[in-house]
Amino acid sequence: MKKFLALALVVAMALSCVSAVAEGNALVSWYTFGDVYLSSVREALDAAFAAKGIAVTDKDSNGVQQTQTDDVNTAVTTGTNALVINLVDSNATQTAANLLQVGIDNDLPVVFFNRAVGDQDAAGALLTTYDKTVFVGTNFDEAGKMQGTMVGQYVIDHYDEIDLNGDGVITYVMFKGDMANQEAIYRTMYGVQYANIELEKAGKPALQYYDASAPTNGEEGPYLCDMNGTWSQTASNEYMTTILAQYNESNGNMVELVIANNDDMAIGAIRALEVAGYNVEGAHTIPVFGVDATDAAKAEIAAGKMTGSIKQDAVGMADAVATITANLMEGKDKFDGMNEAYSVTDGWFVAIPYSVYTGE
Amino acid sequence: MTAVKKAPNAKQVVNWVLDHAMILIIVLLAIVVQILRPTFFGVASLVNILTNTAARMPIALGVAGCIVLAGTDLSGGRVAGLTAYLAAMLASTYLGGSPIVALLVVMLAGMVVGVVNGFCMGKFKLHPFIVTLATQLIVYGTYLTMSNSAQVAMPKSYTTEFATKTLFAIQTGTKANGDPIMTAVPMLVLLAVILTVVMWFVWNKTTFGKNMFAVGSNEEAARVSGVNVLLTIIGVFMMAGALYGYTGFMEACRIGTSTATLGLNYENDAIAAVVIGGVSFVGGTGKISGVLLGVFMMQLIITGMTFLGISGNITYIIKGFVILIACILDMRKYMTRK
Repeated sequence: MKKFLALALVVAMALSCVSAVAEGNALVSWYTFGDVYLSSVREALDAAFAAKGIAVTDKDSNGVQQTQTDDVNTAVTTGTNALVINLVDSNATQTAANLLQVGIDNDLPVVFFNRAVGDQDAAGALLTTYDKTVFVGTNFDEAGKMQGTMVGQYVIDHYDEIDLNGDGVITYVMFKGDMANQEAIYRTMYGVQYANIELEKAGKPALQYYDASAPTNGEEGPYLCDMNGTWSQTASNEYMTTILAQYNESNGNMVELVIANNDDMAIGAIRALEVAGYNVEGAHTIPVFGVDATDAAKAEIAAGKMTGSIKQDAVGMADAVATITANLMEGKDKFDGMNEAYSVTDGWFVAIPYSVYTGE
Repeated sequence: MTAVKKAPNAKQVVNWVLDHAMILIIVLLAIVVQILRPTFFGVASLVNILTNTAARMPIALGVAGCIVLAGTDLSGGRVAGLTAYLAAMLASTYLGGSPIVALLVVMLAGMVVGVVNGFCMGKFKLHPFIVTLATQLIVYGTYLTMSNSAQVAMPKSYTTEFATKTLFAIQTGTKANGDPIMTAVPMLVLLAVILTVVMWFVWNKTTFGKNMFAVGSNEEAARVSGVNVLLTIIGVFMMAGALYGYTGFMEACRIGTSTATLGLNYENDAIAAVVIGGVSFVGGTGKISGVLLGVFMMQLIITGMTFLGISGNITYIIKGFVILIACILDMRKYMTRK
């Protein structure tokens, strides 16, 4: 009898979760529900769509492209009116092309957001083939440049304090979120290059990577990358813990500055620093910089454990995605009534601006 | 045999219901979805469910053999990821226009991993969980080293001219400008059907297939009656490896690009589907029709939930319950037999 009860429970649960599917219905397929920043976009996007009277089905791809491709194909058969896609394999232009084709074949708007469908040329070539598609993202290079400038200025202002071994050079570590991700590549590159531009202006030596033997990766510069491509706290935490076993003040080679592609990775590094006795009450604070200005990062900054972040405007992104999707569903001009602060390039690329965050 | 049929008593009815509970639940679920969302069993939706089932069949067929041996195989997804990359490289560099040769080559590559799995398990009596966990890591590391996480697009000669080539298409709607909306059945469905038939033959009509079941239900007994246990185990894992290679090839074609995330967790879904289909972890029992049913039912559940607009969060809970209940029902049958 218990088994029957269990079965009944499952069926009941399935039924109780049925949401009303309104006339306007959009699939929003997410790269992963596990990403902190994307979760804040999801919350804002659900609200933005609700305000426009559009029902939303949020699907989690859990980092697997196959799941996303299947979800998109299935959504079409459910009679969805728009496909809103946070591409799992960012920069996989052929994959995006396949998904776009589903939209074209079924005459549906396809709005890509946050994760790039390719580099600027490839994405432009693809997305200009269909009039009912756009990419809503950020200027790939903006966050990195802004972060670099912020890092540079902070280092100049606190130079002697940061320079633990007093050798006049600041050593840093860079945590990269995803090997092939366009934004990760630019953040890795500019996060240091732009800091060095500031340092040069102030007559200070350039930042130096903590490990002189690390591969320099051409223009991108040396980095440690989350090999799972998930920009995770775990990855940076493990790297940082390993680093601290070898590089510390008693060896005179302590890492003096941490730059991360996102806040999750910045926080992972902070947790490792705490274990080593840094960034805690009354001890020396290694400056740690991230990107996203997530709630967690804001709390770290408020507690003095983290130095700065770059704010991705989750609400702005959600607002732009919802506005464009609704316009396309109603057959209006794509950008009708959209906030003018968002720049539009060649009719397919909408960029949401970033801002510096160092505390309220 | 007497002609007199006794009316089944209440206990028999309950037993029958419990024996078929998994199918009953899913049929019930399907009916509920159909009532609430009448397009669920529409042409477009059925073709979609069919295509997704076809895409997941190969890896499930591979894992099923390992489970019949009372084992498991965790390396499947990553082997698919590696072979997808190999296929993409073969396509773009060496073999340009010949998808069939590339398919055979990557199946061979999958078999190599399978032989390592089978050999370690059969020769050193290691638990398949740990062996395949190890090879999963080795295979992923090999992929990362070879590819440096590069994304490689599959060419048209492999995708729309081969794996996703339209077998036939049915009109399922009309665009705003009057053009027809066509739902296409891709080639990979036909290929999956052929593969399933071949595997049915291997499982049911060959000595190798019979040996597989013998080893799975009682290894010692099989050895005593003259079955070469080591070769059988190696053979099963080798066959599984070939099927993972096939999966990698087809998935790269279907999705469009070979990437580092291709194959991640594929084996988990396959194992779940196989278990739902009644292939028991106890070993020695399972049918190809069960595997097909399991994969199909899993798709039906996933698709049904999308139709109902159930949020992603809840989807995981329901999937978890389905797997749990399937296992409980399976063990119930086993315990009754004992």
